[in-house]
Amino acid sequence: MNGAHDLGGLHGLGPIDAEADEPVFHAEWERRCFAITLASGFLGQWNIDMSRFARERMHPALYLRTSYYEHWLHGLQTLLVEQGMLTEKEIAARMAELAAEQET
Amino acid sequence: MKALKAEKVEDALRRSRGARVDADVPAKFEAGERVLTRNIHPIGHTRLPRYARARLGTIARDYGVFIFPDSHAMAEGKNAQHLYSVHFTARELWGRQASARDGIYLDLWDDYLDPA
Repeated sequence: MNGAHDLGGLHGLGPIDAEADEPVFHAEWERRCFAITLASGFLGQWNIDMSRFARERMHPALYLRTSYYEHWLHGLQTLLVEQGMLTEKEIAARMAELAAEQET
Repeated sequence: MKALKAEKVEDALRRSRGARVDADVPAKFEAGERVLTRNIHPIGHTRLPRYARARLGTIARDYGVFIFPDSHAMAEGKNAQHLYSVHFTARELWGRQASARDGIYLDLWDDYLDPA
């Protein structure tokens, strides 16, 4: 698909910010996102190409303003919902629960 | 539904399969041949970037037989076929303003290519 992931030749994004000694994960949630994605992959409900396609289907405006592991998380949610393993409602309910925990 | 137990994680990751397929599929091209990429705009997944569609390139190397991601991503099976390293000059991709010395290699499958 002609999505935002196919960036080649796009102007205006600025220079590539190459970090010296770049860490594998920049935040703890990224490590967790990576692990959950791989663990979910072993459920055998999709393949690696389906998971790439799930990330590519993000709305282009959202895709371009979010980070690499946000793409992973978004793609994973799409797959889990499409495969009937979770519903949008369940995800929203759990997020509300976690947000409430953080406030207390 | 199968689930991955903690004690099996390391083994499972070590044994995870690559995309290479052990199948006797004939190659459409060989190293040195000129090819023209297809001008395709599928609504599904593809690994042929927009900037490299309808462009002339040269087969640099045949990697062997691999899963075709465009089919695999749509749950349409492996559609195993040859994967090549294809060379494109910067000028073919980006026009006369590009450097005459630069070029790139893209990994492209048989279904993206026609004889030039």
